[in-house]
Amino acid sequence: MMKTSRLLLAATSFALASTAALAADDKIVIGGALSMTGIQAPLDTPGYNGAQVAVKFLNDNGGVLGKQIEFINIDGKSDPVTVGNVAVELIDKGAQVIVAPCDFDFGSPASREAQSAGLVGISTCASDPLYSSWSLGDKQFTLSMWNTTMGATAADFAFKEKGWKTAYVVTDQFIAYTKSLSKYFVEQFKADGGEVILEDTYTNGDNNFSAQLARLQALGKKPDVIFVSSYGTDIGVIIRALREVGYDAPILGGDAYDDPAMHQALGEKFGNDVYFVTHTWMGAGADPEMEKFIGLYKEMFGKDPDTSFVSTGWDTIMMIAQAIKAAGSTDGAAVAKALEDGQFKLLTGDLDYGTNEEGHVPNKAAALIELKGGKPTFVGWRKPESLPKP
Amino acid sequence: MAFAIQFTIDVLSLGGAYALMALGLVIVYGILRLVNFAYGELIMVAGYTMFLASGSGLPWIIMALLAVVMAIVFGILTDYVAFRPVRAKSVTAVLITSFAFSNLLQNAALLFISPRPRNVPLPEIFSQTVTIGGAITPVRNLITIAASIVLLAAVAFLMRKTTLGIAMRAAATNFTMARMLGVPANLIISSAFALSGFLAGVVGILWIGRIGTVVPGVGLEPLLVAFIATVIGGMRSLPGAVVGGFLLALIDTTLNYTLSQDLLKFRDAFTFSLVILILLWRPQGLIKGPASGQRT
Repeated sequence: MMKTSRLLLAATSFALASTAALAADDKIVIGGALSMTGIQAPLDTPGYNGAQVAVKFLNDNGGVLGKQIEFINIDGKSDPVTVGNVAVELIDKGAQVIVAPCDFDFGSPASREAQSAGLVGISTCASDPLYSSWSLGDKQFTLSMWNTTMGATAADFAFKEKGWKTAYVVTDQFIAYTKSLSKYFVEQFKADGGEVILEDTYTNGDNNFSAQLARLQALGKKPDVIFVSSYGTDIGVIIRALREVGYDAPILGGDAYDDPAMHQALGEKFGNDVYFVTHTWMGAGADPEMEKFIGLYKEMFGKDPDTSFVSTGWDTIMMIAQAIKAAGSTDGAAVAKALEDGQFKLLTGDLDYGTNEEGHVPNKAAALIELKGGKPTFVGWRKPESLPKP
Repeated sequence: MAFAIQFTIDVLSLGGAYALMALGLVIVYGILRLVNFAYGELIMVAGYTMFLASGSGLPWIIMALLAVVMAIVFGILTDYVAFRPVRAKSVTAVLITSFAFSNLLQNAALLFISPRPRNVPLPEIFSQTVTIGGAITPVRNLITIAASIVLLAAVAFLMRKTTLGIAMRAAATNFTMARMLGVPANLIISSAFALSGFLAGVVGILWIGRIGTVVPGVGLEPLLVAFIATVIGGMRSLPGAVVGGFLLALIDTTLNYTLSQDLLKFRDAFTFSLVILILLWRPQGLIKGPASGQRT
């Protein structure tokens, strides 16, 4: 029985592989394991929408290497196991490049499957340095800057640009992203000469910040700047809790702050003096191509994009297309080489990957945004001179 | 002194919210012996009602009332959609239908509204603070405490003094006997779901008042909290659910205040270890409910 089922399995996979090979002749298939449901959906659905806009744009302009692009996304359901299985299914369907979810914990299973099938895998915006060729393999990349850049940009901005000398740091223990972002901020802030007066811990979903506040109050002094690394709606909870009891120091954070609902929730009263480091700015002044993208997006979806994460999806597809063009094929090794060698002008900043030995470190600038009266404004692009070691 | 006041207010406000969540879950469990896994979605419904009503220009209190009414409506709907058709057949079926209904509601919110957080209107008072004995406290914590005292008292009154409440308690003790004595089964069960929806609606407003936004998964945490609280307190006892809620809040808050930074990362592990210890000591939960009759 065992034997027959195995034979059957082999036969089906062979059949699938041959259909895949057939399909590959007239089109290029890009597989997406992005999560349309669950906690990762707020970050993945915008990327998915942006990717669709890019695919349509490329196909309307003659495709890549004369072939049309087909983007198949199967819901990864914000579950690492499902994301891995989805990637296997996509590869069976003939996917030649895999687009992985926007986070190391949720995205890496897709990249691991891509790597073992010899394909390039790119996460739309995973920023933990674990998303590297060191841990995932020589054909794996992330479009995002690493947390080293994100944390260092925040630290340099606070200490060097603004002259804030003492910091209070809150770290959500939720995922690798929230933990490493704080770690690199603290490293860089101390290296710059700043002092961290208190580091505290928060548990995602608690929606209760009173114990942390009590510890901060017990310290008896106020920090110059507050760094909060959290995820999802909890960020707004923490900021409100701090502001309500009179901590009016500037608050700094990462790309998880890039959420219009959070800005609205803070509103005119609490949405001031909040700065965050993110991928790009959707308005004027960030990138000359942005207007074109927003126009195309509106054409497709009938409304303005509601978060800047849509541009990570567009960038991922456009960069894959550019790399395939440079490589002249969709062969995994050739595309990976093209990504390593290439320089990419993207909506989310210019990107130049390090070599395989350097972990495919994404050398990239970061966008700095300030909240004023609950409304985001663009401060500018920043690129730290030195980075903490990943 | 300020610390003691701060600590007490924290425990009471968190515990009040937890107790209401647990009470809403246990009211249905007591009668049906079935956990309503779609309970968290009632909180979500309350949140999204507030979001959808926010453009209407209604006064906040009307929006809040509307949210509670919608939670009650969806509570009763849970009974009609997920429980009543399969109630008499098998526990497994009800387990699955209640999961399915929860999934359906979550995905409906995802599809028709957005997977991204949506803003919920909050009155000014929800973000004001007062100083009590040197402790700066958000007013919404005091509102939570007041609301939980009033509601717990109201539920206690309903359960002890009114015909409906006595009938519900009778049904929870021995459903078959209660039916034989003329207690209408469907009415009692629907009332339990309505009451459960009412508590979910109020707790939803208080809970989302802390967060400020609503997402499709907002009900997961309250459901988990309610479930653990009822397990500690005793799955079949209404006072048990309340005690369980306050105890869970006390454990969480104490750990939050006392654990060192290195250990705080593992707070949930400590919480659940304590829960296991409590269950080893009292497998039935802290307060034993009425002798278990046959499931109906």
